[in-house]
Amino acid sequence: MNTENEKLGRSSAGFAMAASITILFSTALAWAKDAYKPLNSFMDALAWHNWITHGLADVILFAGLGLLFSRTTWVERMVPSRLITFLVAAVVMAGAGLFIWYAVF
Amino acid sequence: MAITSSDVILMAHATSGVLGILSAMWVFVETLNAREENAGRIRKAAWIAALCMILTWILGGYWYLHFYPLDRALILKGPWPFAHTLFMETKEHLFFVPLILSFYLPIAASDKLYVNSAARKMVLCVALLIGLSGLAIEGSGAIINHGAKVALLQSITGRGR
Repeated sequence: MNTENEKLGRSSAGFAMAASITILFSTALAWAKDAYKPLNSFMDALAWHNWITHGLADVILFAGLGLLFSRTTWVERMVPSRLITFLVAAVVMAGAGLFIWYAVF
Repeated sequence: MAITSSDVILMAHATSGVLGILSAMWVFVETLNAREENAGRIRKAAWIAALCMILTWILGGYWYLHFYPLDRALILKGPWPFAHTLFMETKEHLFFVPLILSFYLPIAASDKLYVNSAARKMVLCVALLIGLSGLAIEGSGAIINHGAKVALLQSITGRGR
C-alpha cells in the first residue's frame, strides 16, 4: 500500500494524534498516581474513585485534543505512515510500560 | 442455584469485551476487502465496537468498584498475589488503550477506505491494536480469576492445589 502520496482526512488525522497522546498520557498518569499517593487521593476525591477520574480525564483529553487538532492543518499534513507508527508505538509503550511498572514496583 | 448480580455483571463485562474485540476484527476483515459496497458495514461495525467497549467500561467499572475489593483481599492472601498486584493493576489501566482506540475507530472508518490506502492502513492498524490489547486484557482477567480460585482452594484445603 502506498501511503506516502495519500492523506488521511482532517478528523481522522487529528483524532489519531489525539489518541496517541491520550494513550501516552494515560500510561504516565497510571505511573504518577501509583508513585505519588496524594495524587491518587486527589483523584479519588474528584470522581468517587481514581479509576473513574482517570477514565474521564482520558476521554476529555482525547475529545479535546481531537477537536483541536481537527481544526488545524499541521496534523493533516503529516505523512500518514508516521501517524500510524506513532500510534502503534504509543500502544506498545503503554502495554510494556504498564506491565513492567507493576512488575517492578 | 444462586446467581448474584455480581456474577451477572462480571460475566456481562467479559462478554461485551469479547464482542468489542470481535467487532474490531469484523472491521479488520471488511477493511481488507474495502469496497464502496461494504463501506456502510465497516462504519456500523466500528460503531458496534465502540459501543461494546463503552458497555464494558461501565459494567467492568461497576463490578470493579462494588465487588472486586472482596476478591482483591482474597487474592492477596492466596498463593497468587501477583494476580492482583501485576495483572489486575495492568489490566485496569491498559483497558483505556482499547477504549480510546475504539472511540477513534468510527472516526478513522469515516474516510473513504475503498479509495484511500492510507486511511485503510490506519483502520487496519487500529482494529488490530484493539484486538491484541483486548485479548491481553481478557487473558489477564483469566489469571485474576485463577488467582481468586487458588486462594479459595488454599483457604479450604490449606494449600494452593
